[in-house]
Amino acid sequence: MILVLLGILFGLMVLIGGNRGLDSFFALVRTVIAFGIDIYLMAWGFPPIPATFLISIFLVVTVLYIQNGRNRKMHAAAISVVLVLLFIFFTAGPLLWSAGISGYNEIEQYEEISMYLSADLDISMSAISLAAIVLGLLGAIMDTAVAVTTAVNEVYVNKPELTGKQLFLSGMSVGKDILGTTVNTLFFAGLGESIMLAVLFMRNEDTLVAILNSKALFQELSGLLLGATGCLLIIPLSSLVCAGFLTLSKEKMPEDKQLLQKCYKNYKKFLKFVKNVLK
Amino acid sequence: MADERKRKLSKKIKAVGLLLVFTVVLVFVSRDAFLYSDTVAKVTFVRNTFSHEEEGPNEETEKYYQQEIRAIILNGTQKGKEIVLSNMYSTSGINDERYRKGEQLFIAVDNREESGVIEGKKRDIYLAVLIGVFSFLLLFLNEWQGGIILLSLILNMAIFLAALWSYGRGNNLIMLANILMLIFSVLTLLFAGGFHKKTLAAIIATVLTTLLCYGIYEIVLHTSARLPYEMMDYVVNPADLSDLFLTGVLMGSLGAVMDVSISIAAGVSEIVKQTPDVKLKALIQSVREMGYDIMGTMINVLFFTYISGAIPMMVVKIKNGYTLYHLIHFQIVFEIIRFLMGAVGIVLAIPVSGACAVLLLHTAGIKKWRRAK
Repeated sequence: MILVLLGILFGLMVLIGGNRGLDSFFALVRTVIAFGIDIYLMAWGFPPIPATFLISIFLVVTVLYIQNGRNRKMHAAAISVVLVLLFIFFTAGPLLWSAGISGYNEIEQYEEISMYLSADLDISMSAISLAAIVLGLLGAIMDTAVAVTTAVNEVYVNKPELTGKQLFLSGMSVGKDILGTTVNTLFFAGLGESIMLAVLFMRNEDTLVAILNSKALFQELSGLLLGATGCLLIIPLSSLVCAGFLTLSKEKMPEDKQLLQKCYKNYKKFLKFVKNVLK
Repeated sequence: MADERKRKLSKKIKAVGLLLVFTVVLVFVSRDAFLYSDTVAKVTFVRNTFSHEEEGPNEETEKYYQQEIRAIILNGTQKGKEIVLSNMYSTSGINDERYRKGEQLFIAVDNREESGVIEGKKRDIYLAVLIGVFSFLLLFLNEWQGGIILLSLILNMAIFLAALWSYGRGNNLIMLANILMLIFSVLTLLFAGGFHKKTLAAIIATVLTTLLCYGIYEIVLHTSARLPYEMMDYVVNPADLSDLFLTGVLMGSLGAVMDVSISIAAGVSEIVKQTPDVKLKALIQSVREMGYDIMGTMINVLFFTYISGAIPMMVVKIKNGYTLYHLIHFQIVFEIIRFLMGAVGIVLAIPVSGACAVLLLHTAGIKKWRRAK
């Protein structure tokens, strides 16, 4: 069934997207392989969080640069994605760790599968669960960042005389438009996924107290809520970074590596700019 | 100038007000033990001592630790009493839980002795933090637009629960699912697009695409090997498994399909508004262009969302010696099918919504084209 559906997807992508559909399909294959490598690295005992961090960087680079080209707007998107990922990792990480999201939940504990799978594996399930959640955020965050920076760049190309603040505001307004639909996509994906759990809660006649405090519900909801929060955070950040990139360097921007040096030089200028915008 | 200052001031007031509400809710949830009839206790002291080692399937050594816990009861008749608990945890934490100082637990108290049994962690506070941060940011950054998004989420959730309740009363699942899809798409798209022709185009496109997806799913399902439904997470009633899974699949793709439909309908509407005499061919070219941009990224989003949830269990199973073939065909087959159906929905939604939007919004162009014929 998987192969048939995959074939249908491939056919449709080529039929409707042409060459670019083919590109998207191969990008998807790259992502699948990256996920596979991440899972096997963790299973072979590589520390989960560094492994996932490396894979995330790889995914950011491939998805942003190979699919969308190496240019200023993608630099801005990449920087904001990495910043948001780090921010979520350091703020939500301790929370999830303490909430105990790892391992079997109340329901899985009594399922057959947990009886004959060994639990003596000497791995840190908390770290793996955290890594998986952070990896799951990446897709939606990258999507939003690319949309925002592309729009800001488009506005800048059409009206180069706009100030940084105006560019920032246009990024924000585009972001607001996409946000609703992205949140909806995540919401319905989560709803479709948790339908079995919901039916089970109902059949077991669990009390509201038991449901609200259950690990199963928390596992389902935490990824969804953090993904949506990540999208909310990336909109102002990527607008800001992109507007800063575009207005602070009126001269032709040097490509890739020199950019980082330039970025460093412009660091103080940029902070001032941030202050101005916030005012 | 004065206006702008006023606007900024009101924004500041709003932010402070929202923060205040947020804090009050958090403080309340962290002290809501009195609402529970089950006994809640707060851990005040933990001592971990090494207990023993077990050998895993790949000659790993797993260390087990004994926890001696003291906790203070927070509610009920024995409020304020200190109690002794014990717990065992392992380094991987696959089948057990480690408790730390300051956490709140549900316990069953043994009245004669000053001890009890841990029944589980109290997680409502963590859930409240996540929901609170999300709502705060949504309302702070997007103001009334954020409020509308929040409202549409809450309404959809309520409708979902109502349908679930109705299913529990014995109503036919597939019929309910169809009604649910229709309500979801009308409601969500109205919230996203307002009363506008583009919303109508998006609704029609969403319904058509979902029906197409349904057809493809049924055809593929009946022409290929039976799915191992009993391997699904949270198996309940064997009779309904295939229908329940189908409902979940369609619901998941519904969100993505709506996203594509409203984006394309809004794009077409914008083009027609800017240049009312746009050529039909140019308009179709723009739709294709938009489609290219959406397709790749949206499919990526779905892949990340669906597959990342399965990662922890996959690691456990690989360590238990499952092969890649077995994993794909029996363990995450449902996640993969969900993702693939969602992706098919996204790709299908591009031409369908493009056609709907052009037919409904570009009436002048269509008429001209007919006359030319």
